[in-house]
Amino acid sequence: MEAPPVTMMPVTGGTINMMEYLLQGSVLDHSLESLIHRLRGLCDNMEPETFLDHEMVFLLKGQQASPFVLRARRSMDRAGAPWHLRYLGQPEVGDKNRHALVRNCVDIATSENLTDFLMEMGFRMDHEFVAKGHLFRKGIMKIMVYKIFRILVPGSTDSTEALSLSYLVELSVVAPAGQDMVSDDMRNFAEQLKPLVHLEKIDPKRLM
Amino acid sequence: MQREGKQLEASLDALLSQVADLKNSLGSFIYKLENEYDRLTCFALLSGQLNTLNKVLKHEKTPLFRNQVIIPLVLSPDRDEDLMRQTEGRVPVFSHEVVPDHLRTKPDPEVEEQEKQLTTDAARIGADVAQKQIQSLNKMCSNLLEKISKEERESESGGLRPNKQTFNPADTNALVAAVAFGKGLSNWRPSGSSGSGQPGQPGTGTILTGASGLQQVQMTGAPSQQQSILSGVQMAQAGQPGKMPSGIKTNIKSASMHPYQWFVSSMEKTAAVKSQDLTQH
Repeated sequence: MEAPPVTMMPVTGGTINMMEYLLQGSVLDHSLESLIHRLRGLCDNMEPETFLDHEMVFLLKGQQASPFVLRARRSMDRAGAPWHLRYLGQPEVGDKNRHALVRNCVDIATSENLTDFLMEMGFRMDHEFVAKGHLFRKGIMKIMVYKIFRILVPGSTDSTEALSLSYLVELSVVAPAGQDMVSDDMRNFAEQLKPLVHLEKIDPKRLM
Repeated sequence: MQREGKQLEASLDALLSQVADLKNSLGSFIYKLENEYDRLTCFALLSGQLNTLNKVLKHEKTPLFRNQVIIPLVLSPDRDEDLMRQTEGRVPVFSHEVVPDHLRTKPDPEVEEQEKQLTTDAARIGADVAQKQIQSLNKMCSNLLEKISKEERESESGGLRPNKQTFNPADTNALVAAVAFGKGLSNWRPSGSSGSGQPGQPGTGTILTGASGLQQVQMTGAPSQQQSILSGVQMAQAGQPGKMPSGIKTNIKSASMHPYQWFVSSMEKTAAVKSQDLTQH
């Protein structure tokens, strides 16, 4: 069920294959304020946007070895916002010069009965967490600074505890496949956040 | 004559005002030295005032004070209230002790000697040598200033560096792992290799769903291999480690089931699990 690398697939029409370019880092709690100030200066001028999301990750064990992963995200502080379903592919093994993690990305807005639908389809919830933090934007780049909370009682988002004393910082761009200069822009922006945060491409497989 | 008199008076007034300002700032300077000696910021003001004083003196409309002579007319050892008031209590008596100090026009003889010596020395060494000496002095001063500022900066950053740790790489890895595949997040199963991911006890509901999930694996016969289950951490199996091996060791049939049949039976099992869930909660 895993798609072959997207850049090899022929374009047969329909939607454009979007890739997510990602750089990640973290910042300790006591340095969060300075990071927020710096981001407010560097990013587009807009109202500081905070978010409180509940994300659930669903797995479908298929015929192949690795299961199919879908991420369902809902907003806990914005009533009426649609649920967000996301598919993220395997990171593309490009040349070492590419500065960001690149993976295929499909984003869909759905209605509220998403979890029921997925369960009926055979997906099982693997894990869930609550993300609470700030959102910044610079052009097509999106910067999220958020804290991950572990859910203690499955199904209830009231009892949460923070996973660590740091905030996760993610710089991401969703762009059509093949645009590698995006990663250069991202690297330049990441340079401006040093030495507060070191944004780098972290391969999740290394951390297994 | 009249014009010069007027000019003299005008310049005297200007001079008086300048001198009064200077006196005030000198007074505050002395106060600061004695009381708030850690916040000395008045040097700029003093130098500025001295500069304006010099400018006023050099002004073209200022007659040469050098040509004017002050002669005391009356000296008396009695207290003079008027003088007291004008000098803010500093000179009570205009007597023969006060006059040499206050009406002095030349420095002391010893001081005058030293000054003459210095001027002859300066004239002796010649212009270009003097210029070189000036340059070297300037260079040394700038070097010193640079060193001082660098020391200041380094000591500041050195003092802050232990506290300056703004991110923790271990935290970064933990957070990325949590977002990527739920390491340390899930309550339903351990995180495989690292013991740190051991979550708390799963609730009763989840144990039962886990058990029925196991039965599901046994009965639906989803084709999968032992190695693949062991390698990935992304498994929706039951929580406790004791149960996991038993789940893996069960005989799993493959290929004999049509994919649609598998799908339908999994949906049935899902319905069974859901109803079980509902009875639990």
